[in-house]
Amino acid sequence: MASNMTRREALQRFAVGGAGLALGGTLLTACGSSDGSSSGGRGGGSDEPIRVGAITDLTGAYGIVGKANKAIAEFTVDEINANGGVLGRPIELIVVDGASDPATWGKVARQLVTRDKVEMVIGDVSSAEREAVKSIIAGRGRTLYICPASYEGGECYENTWTVGAVPNQQVNPTVDYLLEQGARSFYLCGNDYSYPRNVLKAARARIEEGGGEVVGEDYIPVSATDAPELVRKTISSNADAVFEVIVLPASVPYIKGVVDGGYEGLIAGTLFDETINPLFGRQAQGLIGAQDYFATIDDPFTKQEVAAFRKKYPKAPFGSALNSPAWYRGLYLWKVAVENAGSTDLDAVNEAMNSASYDRLIGGPSRFVPGTKHVELTMYLGEMQADGSVKVLKDLGPQEPEGQCNAS
Amino acid sequence: MSPETIRTIFDVASLTSILVLLVLGMAVIVGMMQVFNLCQGELVLLGAVVAYVAHEWLGSVLLGILVAPFAVAAFGAVLERTVIRRFYANAAGALLATFAVGFLIRAIVLARMSSQGEPVPAPIDGTVGIGGADVSAWRLVIIVVVVLAVAATYLSLTRTAIGLRVRATLDDVELAAASGISTRRMFTGTYAFGAALAGLAGAMIVPLQALYPSLGFDNLVPMFLSVMVGGLGTLHGPLLGAVALGVPTALLPTWIDSVLSQVLVIFAAIVFMRLRPGGLVNRDI
Repeated sequence: MASNMTRREALQRFAVGGAGLALGGTLLTACGSSDGSSSGGRGGGSDEPIRVGAITDLTGAYGIVGKANKAIAEFTVDEINANGGVLGRPIELIVVDGASDPATWGKVARQLVTRDKVEMVIGDVSSAEREAVKSIIAGRGRTLYICPASYEGGECYENTWTVGAVPNQQVNPTVDYLLEQGARSFYLCGNDYSYPRNVLKAARARIEEGGGEVVGEDYIPVSATDAPELVRKTISSNADAVFEVIVLPASVPYIKGVVDGGYEGLIAGTLFDETINPLFGRQAQGLIGAQDYFATIDDPFTKQEVAAFRKKYPKAPFGSALNSPAWYRGLYLWKVAVENAGSTDLDAVNEAMNSASYDRLIGGPSRFVPGTKHVELTMYLGEMQADGSVKVLKDLGPQEPEGQCNAS
Repeated sequence: MSPETIRTIFDVASLTSILVLLVLGMAVIVGMMQVFNLCQGELVLLGAVVAYVAHEWLGSVLLGILVAPFAVAAFGAVLERTVIRRFYANAAGALLATFAVGFLIRAIVLARMSSQGEPVPAPIDGTVGIGGADVSAWRLVIIVVVVLAVAATYLSLTRTAIGLRVRATLDDVELAAASGISTRRMFTGTYAFGAALAGLAGAMIVPLQALYPSLGFDNLVPMFLSVMVGGLGTLHGPLLGAVALGVPTALLPTWIDSVLSQVLVIFAAIVFMRLRPGGLVNRDI
């Protein structure tokens, strides 16, 4: 399978570049392990902890994502443990650092599976990292693997389950809104790798289905830090709307350049949320995008959970673009699956994952669509504001993943 | 000229001036001193950090831009005295040591951050109309500052007594020392001067993007490529190298795919270095 990258590439250069230190720091949130032996597959009845591995990037290029992931993982596990654990057993969370480097991911994933003998691993940041560990964890390791990153789609590996958004879930409602607003001509642009290309492919399909016309499609290198030619091409396209998937840092001069340069159409994309908008300054005003969570959505359970998280981790980053709601979702859907299966036995949990569903989640209800290994998500359409906040235009309700894993 | 043409010319001037600004400090440290300074990007980052801190604490990015060269120069002087100085005769050691310093600075900045980037506003926001095209006012300021900074650097190295001593030291350290020049201080001062220029670059460009740990590191490849194409041993060589790389990088995407044009520019640079290993300006041979 091709080595792809998720939208997490968005953050790659927004943190420490270069090879990282493999800290491999383990963190035990529940009570310490008694004898270190695996309690795998023995089923309920015991009160021995269930070991869960969390793999992310605490250092290196994606360090900020890792900070966010670790905080939400600890928060969620603590909450599950405070409410009786899973099958009556507490979860022991072991967090490891992949240092934003696929080779390190391989090393720490092997530790989780062979040394720590975890029952499940959650975590992916870039697709290159996921590709580096999936056979170690879910293949040879015979361990359930949950992937929370929003990405380009197409991951159907054995024992592997995705809880992040795939392109159609963000793109379709956004394009539909642009068409409703009267946009007929569209300009598409992004960085040259699989995530932007797949998103723009989905956007083009939806635009043409809806009677719109794509008047231009251009890509810049992943390494770009500035994008003046895209600004010129966007403005001279005179399109009614632009759909862009440009990752940081080039997205900042792009948005500022297009808005300041006098482009009058609508600007939409998949990478806008409260954690990124402030970088665009006042030029964030009016940007359109759909996510599985915004801080301003009107959902009492979400508000209560995010407030509890903020209280416990006042400084930790949290947001849709950092996959925070997806980590919470992944841990709870797994809890539901294990409890439905009645044990942590891999085959039984896999079968239960296929139809796992849960309502009390950050961002709203979610469920695995049987046969797809991907989740239906409650999505929201937002209009970004000059102060970085998001005005929710529409509660889009449940959005199914399309075209994943040969669903019938 | 159509607004489209004016915009294109402005973009070429803007991108090229930014690269020249980034390369200016490197032209002193790598070009003239011939220290392979892999933490050059982090000296740029520190300049950006100064601008950010001035904005956060004092509410003035402009003040940060004015202070950044001095603050980063001070850091550069300490770095030269403690680390760089040990590796003048050991190029591989200098590569490793400066890479480690750069890594450490990036890691510290990352550890202090809790978001994907910190916005830093430009002291002058908005656009300026030139012949029907609206261009970024701050980018225009950068172009002017780059012209002034290059002129000031060139004049201080060629027309002042201290510039003469710096050039004498870099040319022949033993002869300079025998002539009564404090060569240790010259090395420290020259490195600090290169660091000051990097700090200025960081503080000037951070409002175009945002503060993030690899702000400088991301530009290290085009910066080093400029120095290699331009040639070692002079100040103007690397600057010409930056122009030779910057203009086609900015202009080619007007007609061909951006990704392809980047490949073509780097390929051309490699072919050029193969044919003319000394670079555009080579005073050693």
